[in-house]
Amino acid sequence: MSATLSVEKAEPGGAILRDVLRKAIRLRELQLVVAIAVVVAVSALAHPSFVSPGNISFMLADSVVTAVLATGQTIVVLAKGIDLSVAPILGIAAVVVGFPAQNHNLPIVAALGLVVLVGLVLGVGNGLFVSVTRIPPIIATLATLSVYGGLQFIIANGQEVVNIPNAYDALGNNDVVSGIPWVLVIGVGIAVVVALFLRHTNVGRAIYAVGNDAGAAHRSGIPVQRVIFATYVLSGVLAGIAGLLYLCHTGSADSTTGTDSNVNLTSIAATLIGGTTLTGGRGGVVGSVIGAVFLSVALTAMVFARIPAIWEPAGVGLLILLAMVTDRHSSNLAARARRHRQGST
Amino acid sequence: MTAAAAAPGAELRPAVKSEARGDSRRRDRNWVLALVALLAAEIVYFSGTVPGFFGGGTGLLALTEQFLDVGAIALGLAVVILTGEIDLSAGTMSSFAGIVMAVLWRDGLEIWVAVVVALLLSAAVGALNGLIITVFKVDSLLVTLAMQFILGSVATALGGASPPYGFPKSFVSIAGTGTIGPVPNQLIVFAFLALVISLLVGRTRVGRSLTLVGFNRPAARYSGIRVNRTIVGAFVVSGLMAGIGGILVSGLYNAARDDIGNSLLLPGITIAVLGGVDIFGGKGRISGVIVATFVLGFLTEGLLVAGDSSLSATMVTGILLLVCLAFKIGLDHRRGVDVRALVSRRFRRLQSIGDPS
Amino acid sequence: MSQAHRHRTRADQPDTSTITVDAYGERLVSTSPPASTRYVASHVSKAFNGAPVLHDVSAVLEPGEVHSLVGENGAGKSTLFKIMSGLYRPDAGELALGGERLADLTPRGALQKGVYLVPQEPTLMAHLSAAENLYVGALPHRRMPFVVDWSRIHREAATYFERVGLDIDVETPARQLSIAQQQLLECARALVHNCRVIMFDEPTSPLTSHETGILFDLMRALRGEGLALGFISHRLDEVFEMSDHLTVLRDGRMVASAGRDEITRDQLVTAMIGRPIGVRTRVRRTSDVTDRREVLKVEGLSSRPSFEDVSFVLTKHEVAGLAGLVGSGRTEIAETIFGLRKADSGEVRLDGEPLEHRTPRRCIDAGLVYLPEDRGRNGIFSDVDLARNVTAGIVPRLPLRWRLISTAREEAVARDSAARTSVRAASLGASISTLSGGNQQRAMFSRWLLAEPRVAIFDEPTRGVDIGAKDDIYDIISDLATSGLACLIISSDLEELALTCDRVLVIYEGRIVGEVRDEDVTTARLGELVVGGGRR
Repeated sequence: MSATLSVEKAEPGGAILRDVLRKAIRLRELQLVVAIAVVVAVSALAHPSFVSPGNISFMLADSVVTAVLATGQTIVVLAKGIDLSVAPILGIAAVVVGFPAQNHNLPIVAALGLVVLVGLVLGVGNGLFVSVTRIPPIIATLATLSVYGGLQFIIANGQEVVNIPNAYDALGNNDVVSGIPWVLVIGVGIAVVVALFLRHTNVGRAIYAVGNDAGAAHRSGIPVQRVIFATYVLSGVLAGIAGLLYLCHTGSADSTTGTDSNVNLTSIAATLIGGTTLTGGRGGVVGSVIGAVFLSVALTAMVFARIPAIWEPAGVGLLILLAMVTDRHSSNLAARARRHRQGST
Repeated sequence: MTAAAAAPGAELRPAVKSEARGDSRRRDRNWVLALVALLAAEIVYFSGTVPGFFGGGTGLLALTEQFLDVGAIALGLAVVILTGEIDLSAGTMSSFAGIVMAVLWRDGLEIWVAVVVALLLSAAVGALNGLIITVFKVDSLLVTLAMQFILGSVATALGGASPPYGFPKSFVSIAGTGTIGPVPNQLIVFAFLALVISLLVGRTRVGRSLTLVGFNRPAARYSGIRVNRTIVGAFVVSGLMAGIGGILVSGLYNAARDDIGNSLLLPGITIAVLGGVDIFGGKGRISGVIVATFVLGFLTEGLLVAGDSSLSATMVTGILLLVCLAFKIGLDHRRGVDVRALVSRRFRRLQSIGDPS
Repeated sequence: MSQAHRHRTRADQPDTSTITVDAYGERLVSTSPPASTRYVASHVSKAFNGAPVLHDVSAVLEPGEVHSLVGENGAGKSTLFKIMSGLYRPDAGELALGGERLADLTPRGALQKGVYLVPQEPTLMAHLSAAENLYVGALPHRRMPFVVDWSRIHREAATYFERVGLDIDVETPARQLSIAQQQLLECARALVHNCRVIMFDEPTSPLTSHETGILFDLMRALRGEGLALGFISHRLDEVFEMSDHLTVLRDGRMVASAGRDEITRDQLVTAMIGRPIGVRTRVRRTSDVTDRREVLKVEGLSSRPSFEDVSFVLTKHEVAGLAGLVGSGRTEIAETIFGLRKADSGEVRLDGEPLEHRTPRRCIDAGLVYLPEDRGRNGIFSDVDLARNVTAGIVPRLPLRWRLISTAREEAVARDSAARTSVRAASLGASISTLSGGNQQRAMFSRWLLAEPRVAIFDEPTRGVDIGAKDDIYDIISDLATSGLACLIISSDLEELALTCDRVLVIYEGRIVGEVRDEDVTTARLGELVVGGGRR
């Protein structure tokens, strides 16, 4: 070739630029890590016990349920969808294994299989409404939120799980080493598996493609509707697993588990804050997990600052707005910079 | 596919006659008629099978008090959905308005003044929603989702451990359980609201802008319609109506409810969709929403009076929403409307690949 | 060619022989190209919404040749290539590749057969890397069939990029690439899939001459390898430089087809322009009009990077034209005047009064209206009836009775305006989507008439309009000018401008490069200026 077209480079060396580019991609994750550090630093100054091993363990464990839910939410949002029904799926899973665990000492491995099945079935329900009947995801999952919620009520039948076998409790509350709870290890493990799935399998890449441009993906041979369907099934499965983790961690489950807490909101918030936006096609699990940790740290900091728990949802809501507004800004800046670079027609 | 050629211009048949109307409004009118038929059938059914439902007519009317608050919210939601957006904060906005009014009254303000302040605040928050959406170009789904939780927190915090109750009789009478003869005051209020919103959307210039923005936002912009202003206006209306709904709730229970907000959203959206408002914007008539209020309301009440739990009523609502949408979208599909294109058109505004508009 | 040389070239090619099955188990890439890659389209016809776009067109893409489609905007060139690449289904006609008939072709099927269209606007996945874009839908896998082989993707992408002349990091996100780079990426994508037929739809419009050179180098190399190439361009110099064979389309029909050496440039232009149906003489308004008051004055208007330092004047009773290639900045100028885009600098004056902080609403109220080019997206409200479409531009002035819109009076107003432009429809209540393209456009005219404008900018006023209606629209514009309106017609159709305009401004790459008046307004002169001629 006599002449070639290059991306503008400051230096001829490609390696340095590659690093800088990579860092730019990870900007959102970096921002979050910095934000976490700031919150931790400020809170630790005011309340030294904030950074005690016990509290750190607590914050990390607390973030795991949200992180696992957010992992599932990430998968759905990447394909331009949203899943508002993760809370009752978590709840149904917790209840479905909770009672057998309490009353019949269901082995934990069997419990795992059971929650996966529950999540699968409920996820299939969501998938059917979104990909087969083409109902917009926000409405479809809003509806299944209440339908599944009702189902949970029926299944629980007014009863409560108050006692879980030791194995469950150990999993949910013990530490591997001081400060690092088992649930965290599990949560990280799940996140790693999903991250690998999204990065290194064809289905995972197809999810990104569909989120980028469903039409072009279709023309390239990707079965778009099937992929979207799969995202809801996966989200359901992960929500089911989160239900088991929740049961192990809190030792309880009843007819309103899941919907009585903010997990719907925090799972979406963690995903959005972590850089996977509703426009689809970009972001990933790493950001969502860091987002979940950030939320947990921020909310715990609120508690330490004596802000009543009532304000938690408001805090999360504000963080979502902040994340969205800054995201627009940064992507617009990037776009403007690019247009400037390409200046002359 | 040229329409039958009449002689140019001068003999264009007037559109007023309904059989001459070929656009979406005829389909809308048919949908409303179907709803009316459904409502009639429903009332007959429940009156026949569930004792106490009809109650000699008075009972039926009294039942409406249970769901007209949601109807008010649905009217506001319909306005927003008609522009192609969505307002998820409508539910908790009601709680918010009710609590604000109650707290202001408890702290000494005259009740009706408190009502006005609460409504102004609701409208203001609605405007805030609209502004964030239009100025920062964030999707309405996200903004109202975040706002939903912010308002919920504020409502719970303001309400405190025991939210105010026991309002003055004048208030309870008008906004709550009072009647004029057999007709509940709430029904009169609702009728008035329904009329106002109906005229606003169907017969005013503002309403025309609203629906055109919903049908085709770029074309509306090219036609000189102030799109951003229109959208903000829609959210103001939605906020205000949600606020009114909250006042009605407070009147009905004679207490400010900080917990009820989230459970009002689903029925609100269901009524709007059932009423024929197209989730993608533009199509739909307020008259449909009005009828749908009663359809869903009586359905819920019928189930409750028959002994079903409120939970199953909620489930039924959810299922109804799904079925209704699946049906509508399926119909559109068969008619050749490209649903995926509609969805991507709706999401195109979110594309952030350096698009300056 | 020595044995050693042949070995060397083969080693340079990436080993593509194992990409046979994609992630979904289907055969996506042909390992052995068909015996012959002669692609024949015969007697293809296509109509959209009743408006015919192609009628009985045949074309052959021969291996080792560049076959160019030439013609005015709307002549059907893009549509033909889109049909040949499976994006549209033809109403009539057949496609045959290497002798094998292709029925019900889809884009995916075309790719499987080795046919690819490099579209006018890139369809890459913005947030995926350049390397991944090459393989979307057909990611190569490692031993386990669902695990993506990234190292192979990156390695081979680098090879392909080098082959097409793209010097970028393989992991660059596609959104960071320039248009030129994205086009080359699309080419690389075609090569990855072992395509033997590649069509280019207006690739050079957004490119600089340097970038065009690189693209042409690649095309020549591909031609040398025996691929069959299709090429669409407005720029006749390019067409003559690159083509082996030319086909001229006009109004959806094939009017000429010849080898490059068998046709001269003048013959080509004549074939493109042709003679109008029904000989028209240009209506001369200039002679019998005394009032030449300046109505619109545009001074130093700039909006980088689209256009710069644009100045011109429109007078009463005048029909002026703005000619330029796609991407030259014409629509952007109109949108900036109308307030849809921000201007970096410059001024717009209407009847001497400056129009500042322009918005569409302000412009319309001041008497300046704009009829956008993409009627389907920016003009009509599809599911809305004719009457409401017509009144959409004057919503703040809709007639009221007792503070509410008076439907009867609104309809009367709409009927009057529609009558003035001879809209044919079953009734005012008919959905506008049931009207033909020509009638829809008339409805658009009637919309803007209601605004009682002093200046009107019409962008591609006869696009998607059948021949008969075109003449009517020219009459409408002519009558409007006679009654005082200052009109500016933006068009790619040089014949149209020559017919209707007293004076034509030509814009090239964002700047006004010439103004042609009266007798000089000919398609030949315009054709020269729009491609930057007279500046070389």
